[in-house]
Amino acid sequence: MRFALAIGTFLILFIHGVVLYNQFSHKWERHQIAYFDQARAQAKSDAERAALEDRKPRIEQTVVADFGETRVARCVTCHIASDDPRFSGYQQPLKTHPYSVAMGDVQKDGRWERRHKFSEFGCTVCHDGQGRGLSPEFAHGNDEFWPDPLLGYATQPTWRKDLVPMLRGKEYLEANCAQCHPGSEFKGTPTVNRGMQLFYASNCYGCHRIEGMSDGTIGPDLSEVGRKFKIDYIYARIKDPKSVLATSIMPRFNMLNDEDIKALVIFLKSRKGRNFSETEMERYHLRATGGAELVQAHIKPVAINPAQMVKQGEQLINDRACTACHKLGAKDGAIAPDLSFEGLIREPQWLDAHFRNPRSTMPDSIMPSFRFTEDEFKAMTAYLSGLRTAPPAPTPEATYKALCLRCHGEKGDGRGPIAEHLDPSPRDFTKAAFMNSKTMTRLVGSVRKGVAGTSMPAWGKLLDEQQATNLLGYIQTAFVKEARTDLKPHTVPETNPVPSSPESIKRGQATFVENCAGCHGKRGDGKGPNSLDILPKPRNLRNAFFLETVEDKRLFDSILYGVQGTAMPSWTDYGFDNNTVGDLVNFIRNLNPKPKGGQNAGTI
Amino acid sequence: MSKAADKTSILAAVKELPGNVWKSIFRNPLPTNDLERSSTSFTNFFLHIHPVKVHKNSLRPAYTLGLGLISFFLFVILIVTGILLMFYYVPSTSQAYDRMLDLRGTVAFGTILRNMHRWSAHGMVAMVFLHLCRVFLTGSYKKPREFNWVVGVILFLLTLGMSFTGYLLPWDQLAFWAITVGTAIAGYAPIIGKDIQFLLMGGTSVGQEALLRFYVLHVAVLPAILTLMIAIHFWRIRKDGGLSRPADADPTPPMEMMGASADPKPVQLEPRKTYGLQGLVRGPLTKVNNIPDNTVFSWPNLFLAELFVFIMTLSAILVLALLFNAPLEEPVNVMHPPNPAKAPWYFLGLQEMVSYSAFWGGIGVPGVFVGLLFITPYLDRSPKGVGKWFSRDRLLANTIFISFVLANVVFVIIGTFFRGPNWAFVTPW
Repeated sequence: MRFALAIGTFLILFIHGVVLYNQFSHKWERHQIAYFDQARAQAKSDAERAALEDRKPRIEQTVVADFGETRVARCVTCHIASDDPRFSGYQQPLKTHPYSVAMGDVQKDGRWERRHKFSEFGCTVCHDGQGRGLSPEFAHGNDEFWPDPLLGYATQPTWRKDLVPMLRGKEYLEANCAQCHPGSEFKGTPTVNRGMQLFYASNCYGCHRIEGMSDGTIGPDLSEVGRKFKIDYIYARIKDPKSVLATSIMPRFNMLNDEDIKALVIFLKSRKGRNFSETEMERYHLRATGGAELVQAHIKPVAINPAQMVKQGEQLINDRACTACHKLGAKDGAIAPDLSFEGLIREPQWLDAHFRNPRSTMPDSIMPSFRFTEDEFKAMTAYLSGLRTAPPAPTPEATYKALCLRCHGEKGDGRGPIAEHLDPSPRDFTKAAFMNSKTMTRLVGSVRKGVAGTSMPAWGKLLDEQQATNLLGYIQTAFVKEARTDLKPHTVPETNPVPSSPESIKRGQATFVENCAGCHGKRGDGKGPNSLDILPKPRNLRNAFFLETVEDKRLFDSILYGVQGTAMPSWTDYGFDNNTVGDLVNFIRNLNPKPKGGQNAGTI
Repeated sequence: MSKAADKTSILAAVKELPGNVWKSIFRNPLPTNDLERSSTSFTNFFLHIHPVKVHKNSLRPAYTLGLGLISFFLFVILIVTGILLMFYYVPSTSQAYDRMLDLRGTVAFGTILRNMHRWSAHGMVAMVFLHLCRVFLTGSYKKPREFNWVVGVILFLLTLGMSFTGYLLPWDQLAFWAITVGTAIAGYAPIIGKDIQFLLMGGTSVGQEALLRFYVLHVAVLPAILTLMIAIHFWRIRKDGGLSRPADADPTPPMEMMGASADPKPVQLEPRKTYGLQGLVRGPLTKVNNIPDNTVFSWPNLFLAELFVFIMTLSAILVLALLFNAPLEEPVNVMHPPNPAKAPWYFLGLQEMVSYSAFWGGIGVPGVFVGLLFITPYLDRSPKGVGKWFSRDRLLANTIFISFVLANVVFVIIGTFFRGPNWAFVTPW
């Protein structure tokens, strides 16, 4: 035991020794001693030399209280020569901080004078990094936990290795320049300015909001993105959104090259919620006005020449990242429908209205409203209406693959590659109960006339009656897999026997709230609490375009006898009669004012 | 003449100064005989809480494993390092994290102090729990030590409280979300759960109020209670007759005449009690070392053993502190919980159980376990199986206890290593 005691005691002494050694022989002391030696050798006068003789290594720091929270910058403890012009040829950390005209430094009588004095600004306000640290690893923010690593220089071990080369470079410092110099015309921040242009040119503003700059609502608000995220995250999110978040619906913008993404990242890194240059009043005004007019100011409109309309429309569609979501020829964003033969399936009026406000023709569309000019919309419509070449489809199977698969899926289960972005979701053909409970006439009608208010277009110009029937035959054998049987006729009134009146609507509403709201939602928008667990989703009863095409007869049928293959039960079993349903139908009709324009069924 | 004598005496006094100062502090010389050994033990403030003589069984390393002592020494290390850390710490949400950065980067010995404090804290939780297991598995909570067991369980809970309150103080992501999860577990208690949670946090979420509360609890309230409880715990060890030992560890009680004929009544020595020197004195003579028992003098046997445990504990903590840095993650970001947000490791068993059932995992099962711990000595009244590891007589009690402990250990391991984002099962390799 005494031996063990001796060893233990020795160990304690030894560790104390190690700790003391670490404490009293810092690396920065060596840097400072080296600096004093070099400076002494270069000293021009004895007084200067004597002054250096007296200097002992110590922790040097700048405390800056002028920019946001108080910043402590101990960087000069190692970078002690940063303001000594004689050391411009030395290696880091003893290198002079470069002088630069671009940063406002001026040369007077052969001596440089800094515009941004270190004593006034500190270091981290431009460079980021951890000003309190004294070891390179922590001070430069190389540890994965520091939120602001040295911009453009430090990388952290958790960053994606293949992205690291793109995350270096002094351009990244511009993100911090923009904290005080936010103007989009400021010459010192060309990359931020380019990133801002790209933010508008690539239509990022359509989905994302940045306070005072844009008001998109589909994607996350990016007003403070630079404060919340490190550059590696922002870069990866733009480069390949799904690689960071599997559920992301953001498209991959393939037309952006690495330099473009870098510029966007630097621009976004400069968005920190607020910058040092703005006053409280400016901020208040910014918030009050939102920023819609700023978007308008930033998007450079293209002058449309009526003679060149179609060509210019094509150019616009290429330039403005439409194929980041849509498919057009070989380009495919894999998020939104195929536009390759748009002229055959949509009318110009519909296209024009859809461009201006996608939800004016399709109430649940996720397509953003873009702020293009009147003429631009016309040109784009003109181009798309001219795409009238149907894809070759010799057999029903080939037809299905060319026209239907993108939404309805390879297995016909309604889970095509873009299905998750469509609302209502594409029909699941494997639900035989549904398919076999609808008349052939209705199915052919859905194919040829489309389903109004949804992503299902009218295929009438591509498929005649016979072709549509053949296509449905293919679907029947390939996906439904159950033979059709004769349908039992349901007894439903041709038209609603209950005349619409405020009392009837009120009764209908009471019935609706009591029985239907669980799935269809209190507002009838199909988003009731149970809707999350149901596929296909409950119908949005506020989709006026859809409801306009649905006759009373079909509503009665669906309510009284249910919709087979879905969660909609047969309400006759719950005691509904024609009067109850009549009130309900009046209530539902009353939810939807007559739509203006939109997809009308009679345009074949 | 007298002047010369004065001079001599002053010189002599100066010469003897170190010796005299030493003697005035330590009244006894290094002991050479049994009387001095006894005297050393009970005239020294720090030693007098020990018995003069200690039973050989208490000195068997394989019996106690030194776990109680290790826990106590870790507590001492924690107090010393904790007080030093208090000089630098500010319990404010805007400053706490910066102070951590300063401790790590700039403050002299800041890193080693924080590391020692951190690893000692984790170590203390583990050691106190192992000590509790030792006491249970050797049946040492039985009569007359029932109440000291209860005090021990309270000490265990206080240790958890100390560690838990200290966890928040660095004010980094790890701290913030661990405490958010931990206080949420408290919120699952029926009826008063939400109130307890509110009381702990001083609001509905972890913020400045919570930080201040946890700080005060950590540096003042809990240490004071813990110190008092430790004092009671140690005092009761003496009063309950030293550490537990098997019945056959003592020779047959002798009948002996104590003292002179003034009191001829025979005194029966109770073998299950450790006597202080005063306890043996009945007559005009002090008799030492003539009682047939299995005890040895505390000096040097016990004190050397204690010194040994202390040196080993301190070495281990120093090595850990030198090799591994205490974690410091990102500054608190209320909007970005890490996925998964995990409680401190010793509560991960609870969190794992909470993931199955909020009430039963967070309150029900641990409540039953702690409740059982408290009343164990009053339920198990059989005097058999004291002082032996895994005694055959205690098969049922030990089995139940080990099942509970193993279940918790398994849950802690699952929660620590096998739970990934969204608390989904992941393999750590």
